[in-house]
Amino acid sequence: MRLIFKDLNILRSIINAIGTSIGSDVKGIVESAGTTLPNLFDFSVFGVLWKEELILYLFQEESCPPSFTQEVVKNMIRVFSIMGEKQMERERVALQVEKRKLKPNQMMMDPQATLKSYLTLPLAIEGEIIGCISVNSDQPNAFDAQHLQFFSVIGYQMAATLKHFQRLRSVKKEAIYDSLTGLMNRRYLEERLSVETEKAFPSGSKLSIIMVDIDHFKKVNDTFGHAAGDKVLREIASLLKSSVRTQDDMVARYGGEEFVLVLPGVSLEAASTIAERIRRSVENTPIDIGETQIHSTISLGISSFPIHRIKYKEELVKMADLALYDAKRGGRNRVCVFTGL
Amino acid sequence: MKEDKEEKWSSDLILELYANLLTEIWATVSALIGEAILGLLFTLAIQGIGGKYAFLNSLEVSEEGISLDKMKKDCRNMAPAEIHRGFQSLINQLSHLFSALTEGVINKEILPKVLPKVREAERMVSQK
Repeated sequence: MRLIFKDLNILRSIINAIGTSIGSDVKGIVESAGTTLPNLFDFSVFGVLWKEELILYLFQEESCPPSFTQEVVKNMIRVFSIMGEKQMERERVALQVEKRKLKPNQMMMDPQATLKSYLTLPLAIEGEIIGCISVNSDQPNAFDAQHLQFFSVIGYQMAATLKHFQRLRSVKKEAIYDSLTGLMNRRYLEERLSVETEKAFPSGSKLSIIMVDIDHFKKVNDTFGHAAGDKVLREIASLLKSSVRTQDDMVARYGGEEFVLVLPGVSLEAASTIAERIRRSVENTPIDIGETQIHSTISLGISSFPIHRIKYKEELVKMADLALYDAKRGGRNRVCVFTGL
Repeated sequence: MKEDKEEKWSSDLILELYANLLTEIWATVSALIGEAILGLLFTLAIQGIGGKYAFLNSLEVSEEGISLDKMKKDCRNMAPAEIHRGFQSLINQLSHLFSALTEGVINKEILPKVLPKVREAERMVSQK
């Protein structure tokens, strides 16, 4: 009886560790369970397969031979496929392995060790199987009914935590991204612009802004419908995104058919070259709408620090906007640089 | 007419026997892996053989347990042997799932309950 009480306390601490690790990433959640699990029972590999990301986290004994790891991976995917609607391909599953000393030295795993026993349970929540969880051993009959009871409780907590994590991530994503184009949204642009201007202003380092507006966009909506308009927005967003550096630059949807590119460390001259390249790229890329093609063009306005002297980040956007207005007034499908108030 | 009545009576008995057995399996296995997972496994098992034994699709599975109420109404005129074969397949399918997940751990707990009941059902069917 005392043993069960002790085990229940360990179980509580595992549940607590999983539940409170929500602030970290999924790897952290798996690790927090894997670190405390050896107090409850002996195992060689503890694994969590998460369907959403097609990722398999393994928390394993450091002396675990690679052949054993592969056997566990194969078995987990096999068991998960039995529970799923279709066969899961091994090649599509990304593997993340964390090695720890789980066994004392005299119990190092045999390099020829094979999988002798396992428990695998679906991670089920709200009637959906979101993955599976597994403990594996090189010893025969390593697990019994009580282990299964404890392990199922861990599985339920893991499923709930992963689901919670999934929701949290989705909320965070919605707060940053524009759902139609997949670009950053205006709220995030404001934040990012603050960060970039705070970096650039004191040091006087370069920072350029390109404001983009799709020409005659209303006509596209009126003529071809809103679905066509959405497609044009998505296609142009994709062109903009592929025209800048992935790491440093940022493309955001400013609103409606307007976009903003933030280019840290980029001079006015370089920004003009980028803007002209984007303008030509849009002009030369017809967009398929059903059986017809739309030839869109864009107008672009540029502002650039420190050539354009400013005190506040809002001024930089305003200058790019005024330059954009000049481009529109000058006949559209062109790039204009801010030339003064 | 007498034969019809006997067959109905026999079907009712077989259904009752399997209702008790499934309730026992539910109680034992849900204590090991929880109702939510078990419910999903039952659903999977039914999906696996529901094409061959359509009457099994009227089994009602939820986290509260498994109910044969609808099935009892639908299957009163079915041949007892057919009901027996369907349930035997369902139990085999479940056992296969349990074994894939936990090797012998779950089956070790339920087989002592399952085997006598299935033998009893066999006897009932063969007596007829």
